[in-house]
Amino acid sequence: MTPYVVTGLGVASAIGIGREAFFDAVHAGVRATELVEGQRPETFDPSAYMPLPANARVAEVRGFDAAKYLGDKGLRSLDRLTKLLVVAARLALHDARLKKDGAWASGPDGKASGPGPAETGMVVSNAYGSLEAITELDRVAVLEDARYINPSRFPLTVSNSAAGYVSIWEDLRALNVSVSDGNCGALDAVAAADAMLENGRAEALLVGGAEAMSEALFLAFHRLGAGGGAAQAPGAQGTVQACIGEGSALLVLEEPASAANRGAPALAEVIGYGTSFRAPERDAALVHPSPEAMQRAVEDALADAGVEARAVDLVVSGLSGLRGFDDAELKALGRVLGEDTAVVAPKMGLGETLGAGGAIGMATAIALLRLSPGPVAPPYLVRGGLRAAVRTVLVTSLGYYGNASALVMRAAAS
Amino acid sequence: MPLYRSLAQFARKPRREPGFLREGRFADSHVAQMCSRALNTRRLGPSRVFVTGVGVVSSIGLGRAAFFEALEAGASGISPVGSFDASPLGRLYAGEVKSFDARDHTTQGEQRRMGRCAAMALAAARMAVDDAEIDAGALAGPRTAVVVGTTMGEARILAELEYEWIVRGPQAITRALIPRYGSTLLPIHVARAVGAQGMVLALPAACAAGNYAISFAADLIRSGRADVVVTGAAEILQELQFSGFVRLAAMAPERCQPFDLNRQGLLLGEGAGMLILESEAHAARRGVRPQAEVREYGLSCDAYHITRPHPDAAGSIVAMRGAIERSGLTPADIDFVNAHGTGTKANDLAEAKVMRDVFGDRRVPISSMKSMLGHCMGAASALEAIGCIFTLETGLYPPTIGYDTPDPECDVDVVANKARRGKSDVVLNNSLAFGGYNAVTLFAKPGVLPPPLPRPRRPARPPAVGPSA
Repeated sequence: MTPYVVTGLGVASAIGIGREAFFDAVHAGVRATELVEGQRPETFDPSAYMPLPANARVAEVRGFDAAKYLGDKGLRSLDRLTKLLVVAARLALHDARLKKDGAWASGPDGKASGPGPAETGMVVSNAYGSLEAITELDRVAVLEDARYINPSRFPLTVSNSAAGYVSIWEDLRALNVSVSDGNCGALDAVAAADAMLENGRAEALLVGGAEAMSEALFLAFHRLGAGGGAAQAPGAQGTVQACIGEGSALLVLEEPASAANRGAPALAEVIGYGTSFRAPERDAALVHPSPEAMQRAVEDALADAGVEARAVDLVVSGLSGLRGFDDAELKALGRVLGEDTAVVAPKMGLGETLGAGGAIGMATAIALLRLSPGPVAPPYLVRGGLRAAVRTVLVTSLGYYGNASALVMRAAAS
Repeated sequence: MPLYRSLAQFARKPRREPGFLREGRFADSHVAQMCSRALNTRRLGPSRVFVTGVGVVSSIGLGRAAFFEALEAGASGISPVGSFDASPLGRLYAGEVKSFDARDHTTQGEQRRMGRCAAMALAAARMAVDDAEIDAGALAGPRTAVVVGTTMGEARILAELEYEWIVRGPQAITRALIPRYGSTLLPIHVARAVGAQGMVLALPAACAAGNYAISFAADLIRSGRADVVVTGAAEILQELQFSGFVRLAAMAPERCQPFDLNRQGLLLGEGAGMLILESEAHAARRGVRPQAEVREYGLSCDAYHITRPHPDAAGSIVAMRGAIERSGLTPADIDFVNAHGTGTKANDLAEAKVMRDVFGDRRVPISSMKSMLGHCMGAASALEAIGCIFTLETGLYPPTIGYDTPDPECDVDVVANKARRGKSDVVLNNSLAFGGYNAVTLFAKPGVLPPPLPRPRRPARPPAVGPSA
């Protein structure tokens, strides 16, 4: 792909809100997935599941107060997913200096100094939409009467609603694309952004993903025996469950010339992408991990970036604690990169954030790239150890249905 | 402008530049830069993207032949809703696809693992593959991608899960049903069936999802990431969505009458429209006759209101102009516009404004298939894209049925009640959506347009600081 620079990052995550807070938490290896005695989920009433399994918990953005970032006005009609995404968008636009104090940045002559509303858009991944709003409306329809559902909440049931609200709140008038590909979606969003930027359909794009915690989401994974557990150590013996998480992360991507023109410093570069899908061997299977798809996605991403396997300093993986999937991902990484490449799993600290997973992976990669030059002791480590330097990072995601995506990032040219 | 600058502007960027050109001590050398430039020029002259097959599941017919016949006849797919009891809501009608039985189009194994939405998408995809006369071997593999648009995906599966949970409690939820929910699954099921191993992606872009999917699919081919893309969109009628539109006071009682003075709103519909897109080279290799060229598209976002179109229609105008200009054409080249035409006051007014603004005094014929199909949400613009193929192939504009009284505020040339014959070399497919999305795609008869323009680059912005060039 065309190399792009990341000029801004906005994160609302379980381990911190805002770029610096997030970087600090990643560097310290903070884990929002660990059980805290007496702590109950904030986003739903867990009493129906009491007593919760001994190690069950969810990785929420605890104490999340959107008003702190967005003001009080107009928040009432928004759901949690939308608030998480709008906050990440606002933070990212300011971090990239596209906006200043809520207004689009302008030069000393008052003219726009960079991409404005007409040139800025977004490509955002989300897996399950607003289950919170859908459940709320379904409750009214089932328990009372469909005639009483709240029309102002209805638009939230549409999958691209959160992205649509971001365009309104942040005045983004170029393209607005939502993608859905489970936990691979946010990496695929970069591929979609590449197609859009390459063809001059926008100058700057917010790219990433969001997912919100809800009782329905927790319940779905809990019933499947796949979630509700603490992701203490993905990839380790004995783990079979992921810790369900939430959050949002958006990167501002621009062509290097665009960023240089307006004097915006680069946080990192995105240089290659690959994706692959493999049908299961057994026709009856639906959910299945495919190491072959993961391997092909990684190989394609490296070829796309023009980077050799041995140049990869670190893998920010999608390991979540789901045993079969973790094994498949590690197997594929081993085949392409060898067994001794360092692999980290941010989901150890942030949980499985599905549509946001790849975006939080990219944000983690940037946090680790920022630690070099100099040796890096990676947090959330699954394999390998201290790195002499981290200049090229592979970000991977293995989907639940036989799909996989991979992305290559590298340190910004200084 | 120096020659190298103009060359650089025309050059498309490389996908697979060898690593030594980017890294290591040669990266900044003159030789490396010359090599880069040589590689860039390899991608001069972007590929055309062709539609080589279409598949349809609709309330007016299954498959190309039945659908085209119904479009020509101005058939109505509107009937009383049968899949749930809509009577308490005070509205009864929708474009429900009553003739679709998943068992006719899918294997038993597929029926066990998918819902109605995926079954419709898959059925339409299979029809499109047959229509394209592409054999399984040419389709299977990493150079084939699947991109499917939708608004709610498997909404009925979610409704079923929620019903179990709300009425009978968390332990009553059918476990096997959980992994079958998610928009993600639509392209996955299609990819499994056709053997695609490239990108599988769902694009939830509300009522513009079909246009978004087709446009992005075309970009994947143009940028060399795929040779073939199975693309389109699917949507099913579902109770919550139906209730929502009734509660938004947007639903008409009986008829959807786009651009009519007495229009009373939209009717919902369902269905799937799938297309096979191929690169020019791939289509030529297998000697297939292209049905249409997907030339370009325009996207924009109103950033105004989550459900209403901007009264100025500025975003929609930008999108339509973008589609035309990027195709290297002018508004005078457009023969027909397949409208979004939902039949709501606000939408049709906005769309008429777009027509006046883009085409001036020239009254370009416009028509809304939603008068026949209802609003098939995510699937709408995919079915309308296939309507564009109908126009390019037959020279007929599909009619807007139920058009009785012209609305002086919607002063457009509506193709009223009967299909009309007219010039059909280049047509536009217009769509607007929840979230303020606007998407317009431009389709042309194969062979009528000159080769595509090189990558349309935005003019470089003068540097904010430092000496001007």
